[in-house]
Amino acid sequence: MKNFFFKIYMLAFMALVVFFMVVIWKVTFAHILHEYSNRKQAQEISKFKEEREEKGKKSNFEKIILESEERVKRYLGYRILEEVRIKGHFHHIGFDIGPDKRSYCINCHGDMPHDAVKELRAFLNMHAFFVGCETCHVRLDGQEKTGIFKWYDRKTGDIVASPVKKSSPGSFKAKIIPFEKINGTIQRVDSQDRIDFALEYRSREESLTEAQKSRAKKLLHKIVAKQPYICEDCHQTENPILPFDAIGYPKERIDSITSTEVVGMIKNYTKFYMPNMLHPGETLKK
Amino acid sequence: MIKTRIQKSCFIIFLPLFLTITFALLSSSYAADIGNCLLCHKYPGISRVDEEGRMRLFYVNEPIYNNSVHAKVKCEGCHTDIKEIPHKPAKKVDCLVECHIVEPSTEKKFSHKDVEGFIQSSVHGKVDKDGNEKKYAEDYPGCKDCHDNPLFRPLSFFKRVRPGISEQSLSRCKVCHKKEEFVYQFYNHVTTRLHKSRNPLNIAEMCGRCHDDPALVARHELSTKAVISYGETFHGKAASFLDERIPDCLDCHVNKGDSVHQMLGHKDPASSIHKDNKGKICATIDCHPSASPKFATYGVHAEFNLTQSPAQYFFTFFFIVLTGGTLLPLMGVIFLDLLRRFFPHATIGRRK
Repeated sequence: MKNFFFKIYMLAFMALVVFFMVVIWKVTFAHILHEYSNRKQAQEISKFKEEREEKGKKSNFEKIILESEERVKRYLGYRILEEVRIKGHFHHIGFDIGPDKRSYCINCHGDMPHDAVKELRAFLNMHAFFVGCETCHVRLDGQEKTGIFKWYDRKTGDIVASPVKKSSPGSFKAKIIPFEKINGTIQRVDSQDRIDFALEYRSREESLTEAQKSRAKKLLHKIVAKQPYICEDCHQTENPILPFDAIGYPKERIDSITSTEVVGMIKNYTKFYMPNMLHPGETLKK
Repeated sequence: MIKTRIQKSCFIIFLPLFLTITFALLSSSYAADIGNCLLCHKYPGISRVDEEGRMRLFYVNEPIYNNSVHAKVKCEGCHTDIKEIPHKPAKKVDCLVECHIVEPSTEKKFSHKDVEGFIQSSVHGKVDKDGNEKKYAEDYPGCKDCHDNPLFRPLSFFKRVRPGISEQSLSRCKVCHKKEEFVYQFYNHVTTRLHKSRNPLNIAEMCGRCHDDPALVARHELSTKAVISYGETFHGKAASFLDERIPDCLDCHVNKGDSVHQMLGHKDPASSIHKDNKGKICATIDCHPSASPKFATYGVHAEFNLTQSPAQYFFTFFFIVLTGGTLLPLMGVIFLDLLRRFFPHATIGRRK
């Protein structure tokens, strides 16, 4: 028994020594290395910026990636607020959600893909935050249509329980995905086969001929509807596309998103800003 | 007797709980959102990439906003061009606009207009004394380069109840002031202003965005990367440990009693860091009251850089090597000794 306690004592002592070694390393050499690497990184970024400026044009990559990935901590005394710092952004964000690692659409289209309709793009991107692309852009008909929608985790891609009741509106770490019926089997629209196809296309894109690329893109977008679902298809009380109740929305939230306030605003948008939203072809004809 | 104790215990347990819930509810009910802008802007994903490729995020985090100094300002107070919902793309906010809040001492509408004058006469103004635009004017800061929405940092000596908020103090306020929203806002505002409105480390990081940028430092022929060199000093080290009492950039570079926006260059005789005034800054009653003027002659912004400060470089390097080179091997020897005691008969190869 005495030997056992001696061994425990030895182990604890060794752990303490290792702890001190780490501390000493951090305050001496690691400190120098860290500062050296920071300085070198700052110099590289600065050099990169200068080179770009000399060419007269900053790339979007530089502006968005290099300038918007800074993380900051606000020391408020009673709490530390850590968030991404977006240059020139006044309001605090206050939390992170993390990228959607399941969606194969955003590999090409990005996670803020909506840009075409000026008045609507921010709203559509807002929905894209918690609604999978396929939910609006795939119209399932006939036997394929199941009317089933579920939530998937942004990080793992796994189907998870509805996060609606646990989070504030729109700040979910999950997205809605529709389910289809193929050969009698019910499966999610973003099936592994489709993901694999898209990923392989991305990895081999450079080696493909133009004809092969066109064909691959055609197949990739085969399930995408020409006319996606629009706001009013869900923001309505009579038979909305999304079964709000089944995907975990409590009654008060359903009442809110189908309220006259929201629906009225959508109608105002349609009437004043996008009179052709329901008939997109007409603008082009004019 | 026992009953009284139980009552006391219940009171002690439930009072903080009650107060916490009350303030949690209060903090979420102070929205300046009379126009119901949060109907849309409460969603984190409301965003787009603009024509310049910049990410534009239109999300407003309501609980955080309600703990900011602008909590009482309505959205339309700053976004003055928005008159209706739905609205067209909003114009850029002019921070100098008069908002609906009345400044109590003058009873005039509140504005940041004075700051514009301070900035223009400071080292950070875009124009010189003759009114000509300075070289590299685009490098000089605008409001949002230094400021995001300032958050309350309430002072509290009763941190065990609820960090940052002193219910004891608030309860005293409420004896006379009946409107809870007023008490909460006023308390936060005043106690935030009783100490630094930002932590020294946050101030240094903010200044460092420009003053540590090697290209900017070179363009403006500045003598040092200011915040990197600040980080090498005792002040900087203490700031990195979140010490609130340590001087940050503003404490030395702004004359006592002036606005932080009235920062002057070191060649200006009125500047706090002019060679004739430096000693006074160190010798303030808050810092080193008995310091002589010579105290301020040391290289405050000496970098760990062979070219800029060779003496400090070799001195620092020697002590780092001495400390690390002594203590690390010592710890290694102790570890090996302990290992032998743990495995007294172990060998790497079998002995012949």
